[in-house]
Amino acid sequence: MTTPDTGLPRSDTAAEHRLHPMSWLFVLLQQLKQFILPLIVLLVFGRGDRNELWPLIGVGVLVVLSLWQYFTYRYGVAGDHLVIRSGLLERSLRVIPFARIHNVALQQSLLHRVFGVAEVRLESAGGRKPEAEMRVLRLDDALALEALVRRRGAVATAAVDAEPAADVLLALSPGDVLRVGLVSNRGMIVVGAAAAAVSQASPRALPNLAETVGEWMFGYAGEHGFGVGEYAATGVALAVFAVGALRLFSILLAMLQYYGFRLSESGRRLTVERGLLARWRTSASRRRIQAWTLYEGVLHRMLKRRSLDVDTAVAEDGRQQRALRELAPIATPQACDALIDHLLPRAAWSSLEWRELPASSWWRLFLPSLPIVLIATVALEWRLGAWGLLALAWLPWSAFKARKHARRMAWCVNDDVLAVREGWWRRSWRFAELDKLQALTLTRSPIDRRCHTATLWLDTAGAGAMSAPLRIRFLPETEAVALYDALSRTLARRPLRW
Amino acid sequence: MTEPTLSAEASSAAGWQRLPVRARLLCLLGPVLPLLVPGVFGGVALARALDLWVIPLVTVALAVMLGTWIGLKQYRYTYWKLDDEGLAIRRGRMWQRETRVPITRVQHLDLKRGPLQRMRGLATLIVHTAGTRHSAVTVPHLDADDAERLRDRLGRQIDPDDDA
Repeated sequence: MTTPDTGLPRSDTAAEHRLHPMSWLFVLLQQLKQFILPLIVLLVFGRGDRNELWPLIGVGVLVVLSLWQYFTYRYGVAGDHLVIRSGLLERSLRVIPFARIHNVALQQSLLHRVFGVAEVRLESAGGRKPEAEMRVLRLDDALALEALVRRRGAVATAAVDAEPAADVLLALSPGDVLRVGLVSNRGMIVVGAAAAAVSQASPRALPNLAETVGEWMFGYAGEHGFGVGEYAATGVALAVFAVGALRLFSILLAMLQYYGFRLSESGRRLTVERGLLARWRTSASRRRIQAWTLYEGVLHRMLKRRSLDVDTAVAEDGRQQRALRELAPIATPQACDALIDHLLPRAAWSSLEWRELPASSWWRLFLPSLPIVLIATVALEWRLGAWGLLALAWLPWSAFKARKHARRMAWCVNDDVLAVREGWWRRSWRFAELDKLQALTLTRSPIDRRCHTATLWLDTAGAGAMSAPLRIRFLPETEAVALYDALSRTLARRPLRW
Repeated sequence: MTEPTLSAEASSAAGWQRLPVRARLLCLLGPVLPLLVPGVFGGVALARALDLWVIPLVTVALAVMLGTWIGLKQYRYTYWKLDDEGLAIRRGRMWQRETRVPITRVQHLDLKRGPLQRMRGLATLIVHTAGTRHSAVTVPHLDADDAERLRDRLGRQIDPDDDA
């Protein structure tokens, strides 16, 4: 958005703020990130050939550009909107109404914390890029800006202490953070990233490592000629070691990301703070929440915990840590229910009347696993002979799971929310306010038509590609059509509020 | 080229509307063209391998037939409806799919007219919502006047005082 600098008269802008004086350093670092490794390699391994210092000129140019940005970037408040000026040759003036800002994200890396500054991103719904990205502001300036958005720019002069005190809705203890690590598979990310980094550095490193380790292990095993029992024990021990290492990584990562997690509410805005070394602080209005997901996996159940996530309609670009996503990374079922009841008081979450779906449709949940298991069996049989038939043992388990799942499936709707419950082994509850629903779709597959059922899909904004859809499966046709019509009437009456 | 398509306004009570007959050819081209590519290449590849140059003719004919069949089905089983609640589109027969965009959920609208569509007085209407999975609901090959009427009617409903 580049508009000529003729929009607002300068006097309209109450006070002009600048970026932090050190901001050029952070802009520079950001831009250098992709050059830094080759540069170091050049400097260290260069054979004293002067030509290899040419890239330094590029760095110099980057420094100038960063300084340039610092000197030309300023923001101020005019009435109920934020005004951002930037550019020296090509002037740009951006006006962002406070009401349009859905999400305010403050991010502090370790270096930011050393300098007492923070990176601020203001995001509106949709679009790929944030409305404004300020790299970097002094922490108190950043917090003041956040407060300003919260009050929608009103009474910019009011003292900070005049704000409603923030109520802490949920705070994770170190023990809880440990549990987050236990139930998550974040360790995979570390392993994946490490593998990627190593193979980036040297494409042969990983295969070589695998070969060496394999040779060493099998050579050792071959020399000593252990029995089947020892091999099995070794296999189990290796598996335990791998799982343990993965969990350890997960716990470490959870500690870094979730230490000091605190969900607080002040006025209508929810704020999440977390992080051990780098700190994140995200805040969004309660109203911006589009859909909710309550999840309980097997490990969750063993620890008697659940997690509560929300979708917000914010441009995300796949960077989850920015948007307000997790209201409770882990909490007891009671705490989750209390949180929902508190944030959605009209939904009457704890007294919803769940309507179960016909459990007789369990075989339709079982159906998809049939071809997969059969193919796997054929493949294994071909490789291993009769042992491959063991794969068929998955079928009874799958049928059992499908039956349990079908018995737990339920949905409910009242004047304010629509909720769907699914899963048995891994349970999930997904719900959204009726005011946040978008398009409705009713689908009928050939099997549906035979069984006189239908699937109702409900669309909400901001749902991730990976998140479970909000849909009611295997709904008896008459009920489905009635619900579809009723919802369509309701939605047409009520304006979208997002 | 005139045919008795009722206007959207007049027959909204009557219910579902079909696509105009003029749209049939375009509905056919939709699936035929993409199928022709594998038809031609696959046929030529097979013919080379087997040294049997009838194969491309057969595969191309098959592709055209299959595409025509799909296209005709799509043409026949696409219905749309505009009422006080919003726009509804019903598609498919084997896999039936009915999508409804409540009038209050319309974010913005696109009206597209390709050269072939312009020749036949047709237009494609795309209704955008803020949703994720159905963020763009498409009604292909509508009668151009109907499409414009739909656009005006749905566009008028977009809440002017969206105070976020």
